[in-house]
Amino acid sequence: MARMKFYCDAERCIECNACVTACKNENEVPWGVNRRRVVTIKDGEPGERSLSVACMHCSDAPCAAVCPVDCFYTTDNGVVLHDKNICIGCGYCFYACPFGAPQFPMDGAFASRGKMDKCTFCAGGPEEDNSSAEFIKYGRNRLAEGKLPLCAEMCATKALLAGDADMVSDIYRKRIINRGASVLNWGVSYNNAKLRS
Amino acid sequence: MIKPIFRIKIEQLVRPVFLILLLFVILLQNSHAIDTPQQQGISIKNPGSDLWREVRQRDTAIQGTTQIKSVDSNVLINPQADRWTRFRVDKLINIGFIVLGSVIGVILVFFLLRGRVKIEGGLSGNMVFRFHDFERVLHWVLALVFLFLALTGFTLLFGRTLFIPILGHDIFSLLASSSKEGHNLFGPIFMVSLLMMFISFVKRNIYEKGDLTWLLRGGGMIGKSHVTGGFFNMGEKSWYWLVILIGFAISATGLILLFPSFGQGRIIMELSHVIHVFGAIILITVSFGHMYLGTLGTEGTGESMKTGYVDIKWAEAHHDRWAKHCHDNNLVITADEYARLQGKGKVGYEPVSTTAGESGK
Amino acid sequence: MIDPIIGDFIDGLLWTFSVSVFSVGVTWKLAVIIFSKRQTDLSVARDSALAGAVKTVFSRFIADKGTAPHIKLHIIAGYMFHLGLFALLLFAAPHISFLDEYLLGFSWPALPHWAFILAAEIAFLGLLMLWLHRMLSRVSRLISTVDDHVASILTFVVMLTGCLALMESFNELRLLHRFCVELLLIYFPFSSLMHAFTFIPSRAFTGAWFGRRGINS
Repeated sequence: MARMKFYCDAERCIECNACVTACKNENEVPWGVNRRRVVTIKDGEPGERSLSVACMHCSDAPCAAVCPVDCFYTTDNGVVLHDKNICIGCGYCFYACPFGAPQFPMDGAFASRGKMDKCTFCAGGPEEDNSSAEFIKYGRNRLAEGKLPLCAEMCATKALLAGDADMVSDIYRKRIINRGASVLNWGVSYNNAKLRS
Repeated sequence: MIKPIFRIKIEQLVRPVFLILLLFVILLQNSHAIDTPQQQGISIKNPGSDLWREVRQRDTAIQGTTQIKSVDSNVLINPQADRWTRFRVDKLINIGFIVLGSVIGVILVFFLLRGRVKIEGGLSGNMVFRFHDFERVLHWVLALVFLFLALTGFTLLFGRTLFIPILGHDIFSLLASSSKEGHNLFGPIFMVSLLMMFISFVKRNIYEKGDLTWLLRGGGMIGKSHVTGGFFNMGEKSWYWLVILIGFAISATGLILLFPSFGQGRIIMELSHVIHVFGAIILITVSFGHMYLGTLGTEGTGESMKTGYVDIKWAEAHHDRWAKHCHDNNLVITADEYARLQGKGKVGYEPVSTTAGESGK
Repeated sequence: MIDPIIGDFIDGLLWTFSVSVFSVGVTWKLAVIIFSKRQTDLSVARDSALAGAVKTVFSRFIADKGTAPHIKLHIIAGYMFHLGLFALLLFAAPHISFLDEYLLGFSWPALPHWAFILAAEIAFLGLLMLWLHRMLSRVSRLISTVDDHVASILTFVVMLTGCLALMESFNELRLLHRFCVELLLIYFPFSSLMHAFTFIPSRAFTGAWFGRRGINS
């Protein structure tokens, strides 16, 4: 099976936040929760870079490791999902995730934590594919429809890539070679044009 | 016969040594090439490399900017998160379980070896008043709430390891959810009763002169004669201050975790969680000792929190200065009087006047 | 997870049964008290009995001046528990929507979540203190019966299961709460829990008697 990954190319991201909006709209994400966000580093300074961040669908996911009710699971496609029927909203995954992907809905005066919400790679949840129960809890299941996450598909500069890890890395490798980036630091890309494709 | 083998060995060594030397020469040349890259080709440094080095290889979360307005949304990667995860998954759950389990074991072994600490010469039956109704109510409110919080916290911490294999995910989820809600609900009640506990017991728990001796004599375990003690002895005072100080630390960190909507970031919450759990485990561990001493461990202690009275012999053994104070002020009551007060005695509890009035009709 | 037959039973048959037992039991008990034969008071009325009755029903909410200093805990914890309980019972959002949907057909503003939690905590603290006092104080222990303890524990369990089922995220926890409520409803008319209703006639009778005789108390 495929191993699904996101990749955000910082050289291309222009901080348009279209991925954020697309995600919110497509999945009807609850108020206060943003499954995806764009973080800009050195904003307004030389070397400014933007990155679109969401759940990284880690192979060894820390959220799954700390969950006291063990509600996280990894699908055959390598997508990390959580079961909202089991989730108790304790917030531990929120502490454990380095990327701040799982969040709890902040409604109520003291943010009485509801069930956690996180990026699903547009792959829904444990409910029946594309059922209304699945949509209400997790949003659209685009993978079941044979589509990729909308954030990546919407990306105007194709900075955000989603899909099988091999294909994503292939695309990115070609980009790097074409840019003559520092991975092959000694000008190899210019000297050895045959490495380019 | 040995010689040829030796010769073959030397011949075999020649080639690898030569190869290693060759490699060395190449490496030296290469390192020279690295030092002067402009000779080899155009060096185009990835403009992002410094940035990514900063993002990945550092200990503090770097702050960016973002259009998403929520707590910590401008932090790209929180390096503390992984450390916290490792702490909880690898250390806390294992060590916590071992600590709690071994303390129960130690107490059990202690009980089997030492047995119940009896009062010398047995209990006299003559009682003296020790704790008011309100003080006892407060103690038990705090104790029950503490037990409830300990059990629900235990479920949340160890449930995944202990209960999921037995109950399954669905049923454990119900248990964990109710544990979480219960824990959150009773936390503030714990705080209020802790505060009341602090106020009503603080005066008698301030350390005084004789307390150091008590500590040095190990609470009477070292040496033969009894150690001196006032209304509370050194051990009880220390337990009180432990409950108060750690209790307040747990309460404060618990509040930080309970209300995530006041802008506290993840790093603060992770730290709070660590302090909360450490404090809780220490408090639960010591509370095992407190429960043991209050029930099985020593003769006559439990009575003080049940009826509020203690045997005067018990007071003389554990709190001699207070016992002397009671003797001096004639506070000791006889066994019969005590039974009457508890409504168990035969002595004139029935209102005599009523029967007299009826017979006179 | 839980057999739907059990869920249907708790939501349907047992609910109807317990509500019937509750309403019939309470009506019958109150009727017995109100319509029981009493000795007619032949004395000349000095003042209005009705005014005395009404006055006493309310004046007894404030503890007697002479007794109050000795029962501070009862007064404070008692008010904490009862006010908290009424706030939970009548102003919790799920209760209002339940009454609206199945019983009354109208609704009123609910407590916000934080106020609900606060009310629950006050009620819990009050109930715990009262119940522990019942067991620990020697006078309270002597005058307490098994029924008092059962009533206290049952009320506590109902409140606890209700609060554990917060957020209504698990149907099973809601069913557990409802089951406990049903037990309470069935137990109610045959226990000291009847004081929720009988305190009115009881105060009224004393008040009427006092009023008739012109006793100002």
